[in-house]
Amino acid sequence: MRRMWVLILVWGFLASLGVGEDDSRGSLVRVRASIQAYDQFRPWQKKSPFGLNGTGVVLPGGKVLATAALVANRTEVGLEKPGSAEKCAAEVEAIDYEANLALLQPTDRNFLKGFSGVVLGPALRAGDKTEVWQLERNGEMLRSQAEILSAGVGRYPSDEAGFLVYGVRVSLPKRDDSYTLPLMKDGQLAGMMMGYDRDSQEGTAIPVPMIEHFLKDAADGKYEGFPTLGVSWSPLRDPNLREEVLAPKSGGGLLLTRVNPRGTAGRAGLREGDVLLSVDGYKLDEDGNYRDPLYGPTAVGNLIRTKPTVGSPARFRISRNGKEMDLNGSYDRKARDEVAIPTLQFDTAPKYLVVGGLVFQELTGTYLQEWGEKWSERAPQRLVELFTFQHEKRPNPERKVVFLSQVLPSPITLGYLQLSGLVLEKLNGREIMNLSDLAKAVDEVKAGDLVFEFRDEPGKLILQAQDLPSVSQKIGKDYGLPALRRL
Amino acid sequence: MGNVVLRAGALLLLPLLGSCGKGDWQLSEARKNVVMIEVTAQTWDYRLPWNPGTVSSARGAGFVIDGNRILTNAHVVSGARYITVQREADPRKYPAKVLHVAHDCDLALVQVQDSEFLKGTSVLPIGEIPELESVVSVYGFPIGGDRLSVTRGVVSRIDYNSYTHSGRESHLAIQIDAAINPGNSGGPVMQADKVVGVAFQGFRGDVAQNVGYMIPTPVIRRFLKDVEDGHYDHYVDIAIRWMPLENPAMRQYYHRPNDGLGVVVTDIFSEGSADGVLQKGDVLLSIDGHSIESDGSVRLDGQPVQLEEIVERKFAGDTVDLDVWRNQALEKRKITLRPAEMFSMYENLYEEPPRYVLYGGLVFQPLTANLMAVLVGSADLRLRQTYTLFGQDQIYRETPEPVILSSVLPDRSNVYLVGLAGQVVREINGRRIRTLADVLPALESGGDRTVIRFEGDQRPAVLKKSEVDQVMPRIMTQYGISEAHRTDLGGRRLAKGSWKKEGEGK
Repeated sequence: MRRMWVLILVWGFLASLGVGEDDSRGSLVRVRASIQAYDQFRPWQKKSPFGLNGTGVVLPGGKVLATAALVANRTEVGLEKPGSAEKCAAEVEAIDYEANLALLQPTDRNFLKGFSGVVLGPALRAGDKTEVWQLERNGEMLRSQAEILSAGVGRYPSDEAGFLVYGVRVSLPKRDDSYTLPLMKDGQLAGMMMGYDRDSQEGTAIPVPMIEHFLKDAADGKYEGFPTLGVSWSPLRDPNLREEVLAPKSGGGLLLTRVNPRGTAGRAGLREGDVLLSVDGYKLDEDGNYRDPLYGPTAVGNLIRTKPTVGSPARFRISRNGKEMDLNGSYDRKARDEVAIPTLQFDTAPKYLVVGGLVFQELTGTYLQEWGEKWSERAPQRLVELFTFQHEKRPNPERKVVFLSQVLPSPITLGYLQLSGLVLEKLNGREIMNLSDLAKAVDEVKAGDLVFEFRDEPGKLILQAQDLPSVSQKIGKDYGLPALRRL
Repeated sequence: MGNVVLRAGALLLLPLLGSCGKGDWQLSEARKNVVMIEVTAQTWDYRLPWNPGTVSSARGAGFVIDGNRILTNAHVVSGARYITVQREADPRKYPAKVLHVAHDCDLALVQVQDSEFLKGTSVLPIGEIPELESVVSVYGFPIGGDRLSVTRGVVSRIDYNSYTHSGRESHLAIQIDAAINPGNSGGPVMQADKVVGVAFQGFRGDVAQNVGYMIPTPVIRRFLKDVEDGHYDHYVDIAIRWMPLENPAMRQYYHRPNDGLGVVVTDIFSEGSADGVLQKGDVLLSIDGHSIESDGSVRLDGQPVQLEEIVERKFAGDTVDLDVWRNQALEKRKITLRPAEMFSMYENLYEEPPRYVLYGGLVFQPLTANLMAVLVGSADLRLRQTYTLFGQDQIYRETPEPVILSSVLPDRSNVYLVGLAGQVVREINGRRIRTLADVLPALESGGDRTVIRFEGDQRPAVLKKSEVDQVMPRIMTQYGISEAHRTDLGGRRLAKGSWKKEGEGK
């Protein structure tokens, strides 16, 4: 995972370099998260717990903004006042792992009484001077000068495409509670630091436009997330390619190399091979940039993801076979959400089903990542293939990938022990759509053969239905499984 | 000097213990016939397939067998341009040439023309598989000196093992416990007065100690028999996959009694020996009269070996007889064996020059183990998966030889195409590309624009034919390329492919 979180460890007390000033009081709160993720390889249990400590920003109204990474897979989140050890539990009111933002609400509504809160400042540009705030042990504020190096579309830790991100140069001393830190400008919030590399002294921050979008979406209590277009595209600078796809001679536009018919673009009528000339009135150049009033040339990703919200109208101008036309639709997230294999799942217990020692799971990106940094080489190749190319092959999103993840030795799994990573297709001739479906199908057979049919070799595995009740129970006991299924 | 034979993968050579105490006669007999082989070889560079490659020299061992021939490892003489052979008793170096080379079982025969060379030699007889725990001696010229070295070890294990020289083959191999070193390759492993193996590979690094491997005599005999007709054919393959029939519920499902016999066929490879003869779900009960245990082993000379060993000892055109349990009835099936040519992509290539097509700075190469070895660091997931799943998913039925845009030689005419290197070519000018042979005719077809499309959602590459014609001389001069393409397959054969011809080229 290419994360470089602000992970500043407890390095003892250093002399504080800056002194708190009045305008900083009542703006920050310590966030203590207790994290315990599910063990994807042993889906019935969780991994070792650990704690993450960050600094949250108190918003006017008493809610707290933090990064999603700080509270991913939490068991408990607590807030602590900077100058005292006064603590309060907090609920996560809205969270967006793609945008890496979370909104926390103290369970005691009066806990942050007296905190004035921080208002959102303006969007910044490259070259702007800013500050990163950290809390000293005694609650004083440590302010480090920072400079915005860049403002453009870049990768977020749990996102497939990209969002607006600031590159920040800052020299941060090691302090507690630095997993998340605010980026401030004139006492207003300018962004949330989400990554920092101590060697180069450069970091990344989530800019205010992202935070605004997130808070606006969360305000109605129904969080929808950032829209997606559902396309792959290629730059159109190559004159030979332009000629081939009959792109306008006047220049501009990008080539759509894949369009998901379920997505925003697909439902608006865009097709593979179209040249996308403008979005919502913004012209696109040959490299896929539009001219942002604030940032100048900026990748189209910002235009289609940060600016609009789910449900807002989308306007496209395209050239198809040399003919220009306008197409209209509305922004949504279907291309991202309606998929057979969900990408990353946080906070969600993995589903599983143990049948007489055969362990079945539903495939997720999170399961694959459990194989480590080189998951695409180490995980079973069929699973990697199905996941990686699902945007291309677009399997029925209703049909989840149920696979045999491992075999627990039992008297009835003799000869099956080495098997793993096998995608299940049918049980007794019936197509299996998801894990609940499999559980139901298994439960219905009281006696006789259970014929599991897999996509790959060895093709078929057989169990006897009448053996299951006693064997499954014994397996649960022998291996200490709290339950034989979670569906 | 000092160079060691250590070419492909983890090819270390194993030293073994000298024949136990039985006096000077065997020792000297062996010593008379062990030779040092010094080879100057050329290795093709798949990054620059038009180049003649790197020249290197290496040293290995060999020994004199009947017919005025010297047996050694294939990896000792692979890509040889010049070979000399030297005996302990004779300081002269005699030029030699390769008679036959079998990369799949890592054996080769070389011959010295000069009759002087044979004076004072005899023929080392070839023995049987040695007993476990018995002591054997390894002769060779490993690092540490220039003279003959003899080491001693115990037969530790007799089992199937992968032969790293070819990269795709597994055959019977015997593990011995002597430390093995580069330079032992091709040397005889002796017991009493007979050759019981040819030292050929070992482990490199820290993972294992005292693990060396020798090629056992059944593999040697098979090789010698194969070349009797003057030509080496490839190993044959039954080209199925099977699963042990150990599970009680599964045995019941296939209506087999609990007699501990039989394996289930789980896959039959199209174009393989068993294609059209066996079916998925067949239970194999015996092969050539040998009962098949439920773990897939058969008894051969009293020893349990994997059922493939029966096939291993046969030649192309030979048959095996199978007792097959299908639809609750016993059927007799006969399989005519042939090499699994469709998997030849996974084999390291040594002798034949790399094939390629150059077009306006775009280099097209067929996907091979050699190409993958140089691309592996930069290969994207699609390329890696095409390689990994080529056999398993029988991609060869559709595409016997995937063609890769392996690199783009930068030139002012292709500045926008450089990022496309590493893509799998799907079609050129509307023609589906199934082998490298399809590339040239496809490039020549169509109008003035050549459109190359790739697998996945990559943009196409578009070139103007007139422009390509114009820039080719410049690119070839700048990059030192004398031939624009080399597409001759030589003797190698690919999968035939089972796609339908109609609808082509529209």
